[in-house]
Amino acid sequence: MGYHDSGYLVPMSPNLEKTRASINQDLKFDPLSSTYEADNDLKRAQIARTFISDTMTVPTTEMYAYGVHGTLGDAVYYEPSTIALEAHVAKITGKEDGLFMPTGTMSNQIGLRTHLTQPPYTIVCDHRAHIYTYELSGVAFHSGAQLIPVPPQNGHHLTVDDVSRSVVQGSDVHFAPTQVISLENTLNGTIFPQYDIVPISEFARSLGIKMHLDGARLWHVAAETGMSLKELCDPFDSVSLCFSKGLGAPVGSILLGTKEYITKARRVRKLFGGGMRQTGILAASVAYALTHHFPLLPRVHILARKLEKGLQDIGVTILSGAETCMVFYDATSIGTTYDEIAEKGLQLPSPLFLGGSRLVVHIQTTEAVIDDFLELVAGIAKERKKAGFVKAEMNGVGQYRDVYVHRHWSISKSK
Amino acid sequence: MSSELEKSRASIIKDVKLDLISSTAEADNELKRAQLARTFISDTITAPTKEMYAYGVLATLGDDVYHEPSTHALEAHVAKITGKEAGLFVSSGTMSNQIGLRTQLMQPPYTILCDHRAHIYKYEAGGAAFHSGAHVTAIVPQNGHHLTLDDIKGNVIYGPDVHFAPTEVIALENTLNGTIFPQEEITAISEFARSKGIKMHLDGARIWHVAAETGTSLKVLCEPFDSVSLCFSKGLGAPVGSILVGSQEFITRARRIRKLFGGGMRQTGLLAGCAAYALSNNFPLLPRVHALARKLEQGLKDIGVTILSPAETCMIFYDAPSIGTTYDEIAERALKLPEPLFLGGSRVVTHIQTTEAAVDDFLKLIADIAEEKKKAGFVKPQVNGDGKYHDVYVRRTH
Repeated sequence: MGYHDSGYLVPMSPNLEKTRASINQDLKFDPLSSTYEADNDLKRAQIARTFISDTMTVPTTEMYAYGVHGTLGDAVYYEPSTIALEAHVAKITGKEDGLFMPTGTMSNQIGLRTHLTQPPYTIVCDHRAHIYTYELSGVAFHSGAQLIPVPPQNGHHLTVDDVSRSVVQGSDVHFAPTQVISLENTLNGTIFPQYDIVPISEFARSLGIKMHLDGARLWHVAAETGMSLKELCDPFDSVSLCFSKGLGAPVGSILLGTKEYITKARRVRKLFGGGMRQTGILAASVAYALTHHFPLLPRVHILARKLEKGLQDIGVTILSGAETCMVFYDATSIGTTYDEIAEKGLQLPSPLFLGGSRLVVHIQTTEAVIDDFLELVAGIAKERKKAGFVKAEMNGVGQYRDVYVHRHWSISKSK
Repeated sequence: MSSELEKSRASIIKDVKLDLISSTAEADNELKRAQLARTFISDTITAPTKEMYAYGVLATLGDDVYHEPSTHALEAHVAKITGKEAGLFVSSGTMSNQIGLRTQLMQPPYTILCDHRAHIYKYEAGGAAFHSGAHVTAIVPQNGHHLTLDDIKGNVIYGPDVHFAPTEVIALENTLNGTIFPQEEITAISEFARSKGIKMHLDGARIWHVAAETGTSLKVLCEPFDSVSLCFSKGLGAPVGSILVGSQEFITRARRIRKLFGGGMRQTGLLAGCAAYALSNNFPLLPRVHALARKLEQGLKDIGVTILSPAETCMIFYDAPSIGTTYDEIAERALKLPEPLFLGGSRVVTHIQTTEAAVDDFLKLIADIAEEKKKAGFVKPQVNGDGKYHDVYVRRTH
């Protein structure tokens, strides 16, 4: 026991050198296994055979070799590579400024929070939207906002008709006015036709309602259609884009908007705990992705279309088409379940990693993997047919069905 | 495929591409490192070294929303050394604290009790109110150094009186302004809290410094708390990240809240690898950092500068007016030195990348200014103490 310099009684370990050495020893930590290189090679091989999501795409050694040269600033104060990235993406999307975020969820939630001024208020969106289904009621939690989730009449995307019937306006005190319309492109991998986005935007602007775009996968729309990002983003006041999905960067998204809006969003980002420090390596990894991975997207879409055609040839019902990098299919249409397909996929000599109804192709998917998957499904379909399965005639009973069937899966913890 | 489409795609590819690494990147970063060695504004600015990156890039490639092995191993390791059941890697100390509090708080109305200088109260943008709808009772410690059981008892709220929002969490901070909270007092507060069913949270962003300075194990330091937040990106020098530790049940709930906050990052192996490198290689450097801070303090005292808060670990707070100058003047002159120094306000922070030469240069600058002011007739006023509270942390916009 002894007195510290401050005069307060602080138990100073009597054998300070020894205890410090002991603590140093306890804290030491080397998570790299002796086979780390082989482990990562195996992981990369597995990612090539994973259809669960494009969030799983992994940084390459080339990306890291580039990324480590990013600048060393503190992004809460001033981090040059990160600022340069924000300025670049703002420029190509036709917005004034951008804000680097750790995730798409934070980007969307802060995007919405920063638009909303004084409750009560509502946000209109597609009922399949990520902000409604996968962000844990974020808008209610962070913003006290009510979402109005709208099923598009055409089953594919919202039109100005859908939106105008759903927005809340006027002086009736029963209702919370709509302050934001939030659209998503791509949604379930499908492309929201720009000719239907523009009228919604004109409608919104005529009423002083803000437009937000969840453009996590907007890159795919640009790559597929050849429409510039600026044109795709013009109808929106704010846009959220992701780097860690199809583009393959390890971490990050970006929120874009006016300078005033982004300045406000920056404070909200700190409030959310999104003020990271030396993000230079993350920003530079993103730059690498923009340069080297974005051009690979058209090939990803071709593979997705091959997948769709192959499934159709087997007789599988397609629930949502391969407009970009995703296909949704109906396992029951060939007499099986997603669990059975996934389990059989794992048992292959070179395992496949599958989720539920959604199949996602990404920049690290190989063509051989597509072939293996189709072979697997064809095999099962053949078995079922032999066993007497007959595909039911679908008359369409008008019941809404969510094409996205999730399957509870887990990645082996040992890898 | 139409050549029209091919042309538009090529044009977009050209627009999208971005090269952030200039031909002078290596030299720029060398210069930056030299500047960090002379920066006293904060320890958050510590930069990853080449060795740290070389190690970090070898870590695993999982997706942390599902399963990321290096990140998971880091969480388990820090949980173990702090004596907790589980850990959760998050993007910042603010997120760690706010998620920690949100996960402890059960049902409003409720109050969080903390020191009025606490980070969770002053520097988290109103987080406790925003994220949790919590009222915060911010106490001015009677001894001016740390909260005591007496302070807590005088401010805690419990009981059936409907006017009041019961205290559900007592949140302490160690270090606070770089000072060490005596563990005996913490233990007494914890026993009291537990007897009332009140939770204990520790903002231990810089708890590493307490362990390094006193030789007390992290387990002992963390034992009085139900949840603890520790930072990797400050004194330990990792690029990004903090960690929240607590019971398995608590961390399971916190993980969902992390997703809600938008903290579910993807391939965090690199970041976990850098944190591991920091624990192994940078943690042992902290005692030297403290020795530099004490040298700084002694040097300032010798010049006649009033010390507002002493160098118990890596920070010292000093009073510029006590030698007749301002923080702005000192900082501006520091920038003009042949080898500039980068200064904030009253707070001076030493870190693992601070050089002794930088400390000497800072003391020389202060000594020169003090000499000038004395020559110009400045006389340090006798301070009698008028009992008015004075926040030692004077910030300067820089």
